[in-house]
Amino acid sequence: MLKISKLFGILATTFIMSSQSLFAGNVPESNDAIKLVMNDWTGQHVSTKIAGALLSKMGYNVEYVSAGAVPQHAGLAQGNLHFQAEVWTNNIGDLYPKFVENGDIVVLGQLGLEPREGWVYPPYMADKCPGLPSYQALYDCAQAFASASSFPNGRLITYPADWGTRSKDIVAGIELPFEAVAGGSEGAMIAELKSAYAAGDPILMMMWQPHWIFADLDLNWVEWNPVDGECVEESQAKDTACGFQQASVDKVVWGGFEGKWPAAHKMLSTYSMTNADQNAAILEIDNKGRDIDDVVSEWLANNESTWKGWIDAAMK
Amino acid sequence: MPVQKEQNTLIWLGIIAITLLFIYLQDQWKWMAQYPKDMVIPLADWLSFGMDWVIQTTGWFFIGISWILEWPIKGVRWCLQILPWSVSVFLFVVVAYASSGLRLAIFTALACCYMLMIGYWVESLNTLSLVAISVPLAILCGFGFGVWGYFSKRAERVIMPMLDIFQTVPTFAYLLPILMLFGFGTVVGLIASVLYSFPPMVRNTIVGLRAVSSEVIESGLMAGATPSQLFWQVRVPSAWRQLLLGVNQATMASLSMVIIASIIGGTADIGWEVLTAIRKAQFGESLLAGLVIALMAMVIDRITAGLANRSDAYVLKETNFVARRRYWIIAFLGAVAFFGLAHGIDGLNTWPSYFEWNPAGILNDALTYVVVNYRSEIESIKTFAFFFVMLPTKIGLKGTVSPFTWGFSLTMVHKIAYVVLMLGLAFYLSRRWSVNAGIFVLLFAIFYYFGLTGLPWPTLLLIYSYGAYQVGGVRLGFGTLLGLGFIVITGIWSEAILSVYVCGIAVLISFALGSAIGIWAAHNETVSAVVRPINDTLQTMPLFVILIPFVMLFKIGDFTALLAIIAYAIVPAIRYSEHGLRNVPATVVEAAQMMGSTRSQLLWQVKIPLSLPIMMLGLNQTIMYGIAMLVIAALVGTNGLEQVVYIGLSDGNFGVGIIAGVSMAIIAIIIDRVTRAISAKRSLELGLAAP
Repeated sequence: MLKISKLFGILATTFIMSSQSLFAGNVPESNDAIKLVMNDWTGQHVSTKIAGALLSKMGYNVEYVSAGAVPQHAGLAQGNLHFQAEVWTNNIGDLYPKFVENGDIVVLGQLGLEPREGWVYPPYMADKCPGLPSYQALYDCAQAFASASSFPNGRLITYPADWGTRSKDIVAGIELPFEAVAGGSEGAMIAELKSAYAAGDPILMMMWQPHWIFADLDLNWVEWNPVDGECVEESQAKDTACGFQQASVDKVVWGGFEGKWPAAHKMLSTYSMTNADQNAAILEIDNKGRDIDDVVSEWLANNESTWKGWIDAAMK
Repeated sequence: MPVQKEQNTLIWLGIIAITLLFIYLQDQWKWMAQYPKDMVIPLADWLSFGMDWVIQTTGWFFIGISWILEWPIKGVRWCLQILPWSVSVFLFVVVAYASSGLRLAIFTALACCYMLMIGYWVESLNTLSLVAISVPLAILCGFGFGVWGYFSKRAERVIMPMLDIFQTVPTFAYLLPILMLFGFGTVVGLIASVLYSFPPMVRNTIVGLRAVSSEVIESGLMAGATPSQLFWQVRVPSAWRQLLLGVNQATMASLSMVIIASIIGGTADIGWEVLTAIRKAQFGESLLAGLVIALMAMVIDRITAGLANRSDAYVLKETNFVARRRYWIIAFLGAVAFFGLAHGIDGLNTWPSYFEWNPAGILNDALTYVVVNYRSEIESIKTFAFFFVMLPTKIGLKGTVSPFTWGFSLTMVHKIAYVVLMLGLAFYLSRRWSVNAGIFVLLFAIFYYFGLTGLPWPTLLLIYSYGAYQVGGVRLGFGTLLGLGFIVITGIWSEAILSVYVCGIAVLISFALGSAIGIWAAHNETVSAVVRPINDTLQTMPLFVILIPFVMLFKIGDFTALLAIIAYAIVPAIRYSEHGLRNVPATVVEAAQMMGSTRSQLLWQVKIPLSLPIMMLGLNQTIMYGIAMLVIAALVGTNGLEQVVYIGLSDGNFGVGIIAGVSMAIIAIIIDRVTRAISAKRSLELGLAAP
C-alpha cells in the first residue's frame, strides 16, 4: 500500500516525517505534531524546513502548514500553529504585539539573519544618475527616475499601503523631490521590478533582504549617512539622513510550547541561520529549480557539527 | 405632466447653482472641502471593541463549531486523494456524461488531463474537497432561509437586504472576524465561502416557490394533500428547476470564494499556489494555476446546469431497474475496474512525472518580449489615458492642464471658451433632445473642470440623492442620502471618492466597449463563438491572475487597476447586450424591415431601444463586477476604500476594515437600486414585462 501511505503524507497539507529517534529518554514529551508555519517565500521555507528536519531528528512529529502573513499570528496565539521561524518585526500589524504582550506568542530571540531594508535601483541607473549610490544624488536626478504621472518628480515605489508609510514619511521629511507610490502587494512590486529591469527602465524601489530577487537580479542599495546606534526614522534632515531603522527577524512559538515540548523549545531557542546559508539555498531552489527537501538535506549533511551542538545542548 | 417637468428642471438648475456656490465657498469653509476630523464618529473603535468582547465571551462556541466542521473536510480530502487519478477522472467523466452528454464528457476528460499534466492534481482535489463541503452547507442554509422568506413576508423584509450585504461587502473585510472567531484553519475558508454563496440559493428558492402556479397548488389541495405533503411533493418538485439553478449559482460563488479565502492558508489548495506564484510575480505559473480553477469552474457549471435542464424531462422515466440506474452501474463497475488496473499499472495510480509538462517559462518569456519590444507604444497609451481621462476626472481640468501635459496652460480665454462651449451644448441638447440631457452636460462640465476630488462633499451628496429621488422616488432618494451620509460621518469620504473615480471610469469604458462587442456578437455567429469561451475564462479565473501581466506592462498605479477592473467587468456588459439584442421579438424586426428601415436604423431605432432594459441590467452587473474587482485591484496600489479594507485586515483592526467594506457595499447597493429603477421605468414605457 505504497500509495496509501504516500497519500497520508500529503493529507491536509501535512508532511508527517517520522524518523527513528536518535536519542533515548523522554523526548518526545508529546507525540502531537508540532505545526510549523510555512509562508509564501522561499527563504522562510528553508529556515522552517531545516528546523523541522532537526525536530524530527530529535524524535518529534512535525507538520508543515501554509499560512498567510496576518492569519498566522492568530493561529499561533490560539495554539493551532506552533512555530514560526521568521517574523519580520517591521511588518507585523497590530495583532502580533498584543499577542506577545499577553503571552499567547513567545519570542525565542533572533534567527540570526541580518535583514536589510532600503531603496534599491538597477546598476544601469548609475549611468543616468552619476552620484549614486549616495542618497544625495537623488536630489539632482529626480527626473531620471520620473514617469508621466510623477513628472517632474521622481517615482519611488514603496511598500504596500497596508505595510505602513515609512518611505513616504522619509521622502517628506528630507524633502526629496520624489513621489512615493504605494506598491499594492509584493507581487506587484516584483512584477514592476522585473519588467523595468527587462526593459532597462528607470526604477527606484523600497526592498528588503534576504529576498530571492537578489539572486535573480543585480540590484544596488542607496547609501545613507552612517549613524551611531539606531537610525531614528522620524527625525531626519536633508543633510544628515540615515535612512531606515533595520528590522530584526525573530523566531516565535505558541505560548504553550515550552510546557508541552521543553526539549524542542530549547533546541529552537539556540537554532540560527545566516544570510549566506539562506541565500545559497534560495539560489539553488528558485534559480536552479531544485527540490527544497534535497537542498535542506544537503545543508544538514554539510553542517552536522553545527546542528549536533544545538540538539545535544537541548537534550541534556 | 409638463408642470412637474419644469419644476424638475428648475430644481436641477438650483442644484447646479448651489454646487458652484459651494465650490466657491470651500476655500473659506474648510469643512466643506473635507469633513472635519473631530466630527468623525469613532464607529470603527466601537466595532473593534465589541468584536473583542464577542470573541472573549462566546469564543468557545465558535471554536467548537470549527472543530466539528474540520472533520468532514478531512474526510472528503482523504477519500479524494486515496483514489488513483484514473478512478477519479473516470467518475468525473461519467457524471459529466450523465448530466449533459458526450461533449461535456470529452471536455471534462481534457480538463482533468490538463490538471494532471501541469502537476496540480493534488491541489485541485484539495480545492474540490472544500467546495464539496461548502456547497451542501450553502444549499442547506440557502434553502432554509428561502423557505422562511417565502412563507413570511416579515422575514423576507429582513433577509433580502442581508443578502445584498453579504454579496457586496468584500470578503477581505470579514475574513478577519471569521478568523478570530473560528480559529486558524481550513474552516475559515469554508465559512467565508458559505457566507458568500448561500444568497443566490435563497433568492432562487423564493423565486422558484413563488412561481409555482396556483392551479398546481389547487390540484394538490383537491387531492387531499397535508401541508407537509403539499410542500415537499407539490411545491418543491414544481420549483425544482429554479432550485437547481440556485445550486449552480451557489457552486460557482463558492468556488470563486474558496480561492480568495486561501489567502488565510492552511489549505494547500490551488488558490494557495496561485497566490504564491503571484507573490513571486510569476506570470506563467499563476496563469497556468488560474486556468485550473477556470476549467474546474466551467466543468462544474456545465454539470450542474445540465442537471437543472435535464430535470424537465422527468416525465420519461424508464421503469426498468437497470435502465434507470445505468449510470450508477457504469460508474461503479468502471471505478472498480480502474481501481484494479491502477494496482497493476502504477502509471494509472500516480501520474508519471515524465508526462508532466509546464509551459510557464515560455509564457514568461513571451510577456518579457512584449514588455521589452513594445515599451514606447505601451507608454504612450498609458500617458494618453492618464492625461486626458484619468487626471481630469480625478483633479479636474483645472489641475491637469499644463504645458507638460496638454501642451499649454489654462488661460482666461480657454476657460471662457470651455464655459461657452458647454453652455451651448447643454442648450442645444435640451432643445433638440431632452432637458435632462442638457442638465447632464452641465453637471458633466462641472465634474470635468473641477474633478471628483475637487467637489465639496455636501454638493455630491445633494446631486446623488436628488438623482436617486428622481429615478426611484422618495425612499430611494432618502436611502441614498443616509447611505452616503454614513460614509461621510465615519470619515472615509475622500477614500470613497477615489474608489468611485477608478471604478467609475472602468465601468463606463467596460460598458461602452462591452456593449459594442455584444452588439457585434449578436449579429455574427463567429464572433459570438469566439467571445464566449474568453468570457467564461475571464469570469472564472481567479481575479488575482490578471494583475501580474498588467503590472508588468503598465506599472503600479491607478491605470493598471483600471485595466484589471475593465478586464473583469466587461464580461457582463458583453453578455447582457448580446442577450438583449438576440431577444428582440422577430416580429418587430420583420415589421421594421418591411417598413424599409436600413440596417443602422434597425439597430439604433428598433433593436437597441427595445433591448435597453436588459442592457441596463447589464450595466448594473458591470458595476457590481467592477466594485468586486476593485478590492483585488488594491493589490496593484490604489488608494481608495479597497485599500482601507486591506489596511484593516493587515493591522488586525476589525472596525476599520468592516466599515470600509460596508461603505463599498452601500455604494454598490445604491447604484444597484438606481439602475434597476431606471430599467424598470424604461420597461414600463416600452410596455414590456420587467426583465
